[in-house]
Amino acid sequence: MATTIREKLISLLSDAGGYKSGQKLSEILGCSRTAVWKHIEELRKEGYVVEAVQKKGYRIITRPNNLLPGEIKHQLNTEKLGQEIHYEESVSSTQEIAHRHALNNAPEGTIVIADEQTSGRGRLGRSWHSPKGSGVWMSVILRPNIPPQKAPQLTLLAAVSVVQGVQQVTGEDAQIKWPNDILIDGKKVVGILTELQAEADRVNSVIIGIGINVNTAAFPDEISNIATSLKIASGTEIERAHLVRSILEKMEKLYTLYLEHGFSPIKLLWEGSAASLGKRIRVRTIAGELYGKAQGITEEGVLLVEDDLGTVHRVYSADIELTQKS
Amino acid sequence: MLKIQEIRELIKLIDQSSINEFEYEQEGAKITMKKGVEEQPEVQQTPQAVTQAPVQAEVPQQNPQTVEEKPEPKSEDEKPGKEMDESLHKIESPMVGTFYASPSPDEDSYVKTGDKVSNDSIVCIIEAMKLFNEIEAEVNGEIVEILAENGQLVEYGQPLFLVKKQ
Repeated sequence: MATTIREKLISLLSDAGGYKSGQKLSEILGCSRTAVWKHIEELRKEGYVVEAVQKKGYRIITRPNNLLPGEIKHQLNTEKLGQEIHYEESVSSTQEIAHRHALNNAPEGTIVIADEQTSGRGRLGRSWHSPKGSGVWMSVILRPNIPPQKAPQLTLLAAVSVVQGVQQVTGEDAQIKWPNDILIDGKKVVGILTELQAEADRVNSVIIGIGINVNTAAFPDEISNIATSLKIASGTEIERAHLVRSILEKMEKLYTLYLEHGFSPIKLLWEGSAASLGKRIRVRTIAGELYGKAQGITEEGVLLVEDDLGTVHRVYSADIELTQKS
Repeated sequence: MLKIQEIRELIKLIDQSSINEFEYEQEGAKITMKKGVEEQPEVQQTPQAVTQAPVQAEVPQQNPQTVEEKPEPKSEDEKPGKEMDESLHKIESPMVGTFYASPSPDEDSYVKTGDKVSNDSIVCIIEAMKLFNEIEAEVNGEIVEILAENGQLVEYGQPLFLVKKQ
C-alpha cells in the first residue's frame, strides 16, 4: 500500500533533523501549503503536539499513544508484516474483519488493528476483555505454503514473537504457558487465538489474533486475580505503536526462519520461555481432566503430559493450569 | 551440569547474538546449539507420532464395516447398501486435533443428522494448539451420519461426516 501524505508528514516531522518549514513540506509532499497546514491541524486533533516556530517551521514534540497506521509504520523495519494496515477505532473483533480481508486477497502480512473490541473472543466462545485505548488488539494475516496440519505450529511461533517484542519494549521477561498464553508474574497478559482458512491440502490463510493488555490500569473483579497488563507489571506507560512494531519485526524474522528451516529452531526458542515444562499441571479438556507432569512438546508442538501411572498423553487442545509454583 | 534455567538463558543470549553455533562441555556433559538448523536429535520422538498415523489412517478403510455394525435402530433403517455407501461423500479431518460440533459449549451443533448442507456450510471445528479450523462441507447434500463425538481427538484424514450428495 502506498504511503499516504499523512504517514509521510508524521515521518518528516519526527526527523531528528529538527524543524521543517511549510514551504519545504509542501515541496516534498507535493501539495499546497494550505493542504499541509490542514494535515497538521488533523494531527493535532488526534493528539499530536506539533510545535510551530516562526522562520523555522514545524516539528512533532509529543506523539499520542495511538495505533494509527502512520504511527505504527513510522520506523517499521519489515518487508511484509504491517506494510498494509487496516485500523479501526472500534470493531466487534479484529478476527472477523481480518477474515473478510483474507477472503478478498489481502496480501500476506496485512494486519487489522483496533483501539477497542466490543466482542473480542477467546477459546470456546469465551469473551476477551478489550477496552478502548489501553491495549493492542490485532490480527495478522499469513499465507504460508504449508499443509494445514502444520499450521498449529504458527501459534507457538506467534507466542515467541510476542515474548521477544515485550522483552524489547518493556524489559519484562514474559513466559509462555502452552500453547501460547503469555504470562508475567503468573498472570495472563497476552492471549493468542488463531484461525485457519484452508482447503483439504493447502492453507489459504492463517489469521493470528493477538490481544495484549498494555496500559490497562485495573481489571474487572472476576479476572483481576488472573490477568495483568504490561503497565501493571513494569510500572510504566508503554507506547503501543512501538510494541506493535517490535512484535511485527520479531514475527517476520521468526516466520522467515520457520519457512526456511522448519519448526525446530522455533521449538528451541519456545522452550526457552516455557513456564510449564517439568512442572505439575492440570489439563482440562472438553472430555475431562488430567493431572501430570509437563514433559515437553513434540516436533509438532503437541504437549506431552506424563500422568502418575507413567502414561504419556499427547495433548492437542486444553486449558492448562500450573499447580506447582516455580 | 547446567541447570535448565541456565540453558534457557543461554538460548536467549545466543539467539540475540550473531553466534550461529555454540558448544559447551563440562564433566562429560555437552551442549551443542545451532541456529536455524533443521534436524535436532530430539526428532527421535517423531517416529512414534508417524507410526501412530498409519494405524489411524486405516480407520477410513474399516469404516463401512463400522457403519454397518452400529446397533442404533435409526441407522438400521437407513443402513446403506455397499454401493450406496460408496456414493456417500466423506468429510475428512484435514489435521489432527479436537473435534467440536458447535461454536461454543452452550451453543447448538453446527449440523445434525438429516440437515441439508451446501458447499460452504460450516459443519464443525477442529482445534489444535489454539488454532481453530472451521470445516466446510465442500459438497451440496444431506448429512447422513456424524462419525465423531464432541471433544474427541480426531486424526488426519479421519472421516467426520457422511453426506448424501445431491
